Amino acid sequence: MSMMSEFSKGFYKENPVFKLVLGLCPTLAVSNSVQNAIGMGVAATFVLIMSNVIVSLIRKGVPKKIRIPIYIVVIATFVTIVDLVMAGFAPALHKSLGIFVPLIVVNCIILGRAEAFAGKNPVFYSFLDGLGMGLGFTFALTIISIVRELLGNGSLWGVPLMPPSFEPVLLLILPPGAFLTLGLFLGFFNWLDAKRDA
Amino acid sequence: MDLNHLFVITISAIFINNFVLNRFLGICPYIGVSKNMDSAVGMGMAVVFVMTLASMVTWLIYDFMLKPTTSNIFYIIFSAKEPPDLTYLKTIAFILVIASLVQFVEMVVQKVSPTLYKSLGIYLPLITTNCAILGVAFLNLDENFNFIESIVNGFAAGVGFTLALVLMAGIRERLELAPIPKPLRGVPIAFLMAGLMAIAFLGFSGLKL
Amino acid sequence: MKEIFKLGGILLLVTALASGALSMVNKITKPKIEEQKRLVVERALIAALPTADPKAIEKVIENDEILYYIGYTTQEKTDIAGYAFVAKKAGYSSVIETMVGVDTTGKIIGIKVMEEKETPGLGTKIEEIKYGESAPWFQLQFINRYAGELAVDKDNGPIRSITGATISSRAVTNSIKEGLEQLEKRLGGFKKQANPTQTEQVS
Repeated sequence: MSMMSEFSKGFYKENPVFKLVLGLCPTLAVSNSVQNAIGMGVAATFVLIMSNVIVSLIRKGVPKKIRIPIYIVVIATFVTIVDLVMAGFAPALHKSLGIFVPLIVVNCIILGRAEAFAGKNPVFYSFLDGLGMGLGFTFALTIISIVRELLGNGSLWGVPLMPPSFEPVLLLILPPGAFLTLGLFLGFFNWLDAKRDA
Repeated sequence: MDLNHLFVITISAIFINNFVLNRFLGICPYIGVSKNMDSAVGMGMAVVFVMTLASMVTWLIYDFMLKPTTSNIFYIIFSAKEPPDLTYLKTIAFILVIASLVQFVEMVVQKVSPTLYKSLGIYLPLITTNCAILGVAFLNLDENFNFIESIVNGFAAGVGFTLALVLMAGIRERLELAPIPKPLRGVPIAFLMAGLMAIAFLGFSGLKL
Repeated sequence: MKEIFKLGGILLLVTALASGALSMVNKITKPKIEEQKRLVVERALIAALPTADPKAIEKVIENDEILYYIGYTTQEKTDIAGYAFVAKKAGYSSVIETMVGVDTTGKIIGIKVMEEKETPGLGTKIEEIKYGESAPWFQLQFINRYAGELAVDKDNGPIRSITGATISSRAVTNSIKEGLEQLEKRLGGFKKQANPTQTEQVS
């Protein structure tokens, strides 16, 4: 088990969005602007790292039968912390992410990593796993949001970039655009893999 | 009770703000369980049932245990000086309540109707991590719905989810035989289909209620 | 049976620990969150009543409900700069709340949208600031207008609605109109405009 691979697998090989197809609700919902995407990514990464570390620390004392409810309590605690801190210090972001902040609690990536990795591995590796997976999630959200915001609104991070003659493809920042963009990205990565294997 | 208002909530939750196609809630089961019609219908029924119950229970919990009002249970039991504001515990309270609720429903259905259990049973455990259930609880709060409105909204949101799921299952059953480019087969084409369906649902947004 | 109690006990302990930790975090963030909410109203008031001294704005409260605000030109509170109120109406996907300021004749002197969750790219354009401009173009259209004029172009009024977001545009416009009429009733009428024709020449 090399440390580097625990960290880097989240980006491509086991990217939670593109490869494991997990955490789709927030991916679709908040990728309409780069700001939202990165805000969500950072929030989820924090929760992922903290819950992985705590789950790994308590893994020997947790009775098998009730491990899932306990993991959920741990995750919900950190989600609430993120929620409260964001409301106090980044109210604009908190408002535009809306209910998707508390819904990080049911993001399958987080419970999935607690169950599949942190519950069985030592603290430091769990930390790296959480960090890598979190950044992989953020990376996926960011590239989807770049496509959607640039083509759908003609801007990046809220800054207009396209020439005035550019007519934004409004559809892309509306809900259908989220499905279409993610579908094409998934297809693109499948095609890339098939080409590499051939 | 204003029936007209409840009708607006229902239509809005099913069509205009469809849970899956407009609010992006419950995407995992939407993609995962839409491969055939039977499982789509089973999953849909289970979601409608649990969503209605969850709307009911979370509303009661929020209004009588978390909200700082004089009817707060803790205020009454401990005869505190001021009603405690426990709203910051809502995430943790809601997820635990929903998880136990699902377990409880599973046990009851198993005891009462083994046939129903056979068709719904396997979908129930999957529901705990379905963000649509927790989502509806938070949306009810966001919209400041009262008890009846919350229940109606929960039920209608479940129906909207089922509608999207069943439509998708119908399409995917046909897609099995369609000549789709290899990289797009499976999940990617399902997303593209969902995108087209969402465009169709955008048409409802012009509805004036 | 014994095992159930043991497991239940552990779960209860974990939840209690989590709640305890959260109540500590809540103690730290609560004042900050309330401060943020206050700031939203404060900023909106400054935008709505540009001629008032920000330190001399009073609330008029009835039955725990803020009816409107009075802004004075100085802290001595002798001259009224104008009144402000919150206009609310359901838009397309949310309730849109706007802080509106008028002078003593009932002419709008400033507005600011405080709360909306409309469709991104469409309804949210009520807050859009175009490149190189300093204020949202949609909201600027209301400045210097009286309640009687307020209607969107589709209702034959002068307010240009946002393309693809008539519902949001109409909600803002009508909520302001209704709010103004209500304010006028509460105040027992606005002052007469000094010289209406002259105001028109200036603008």
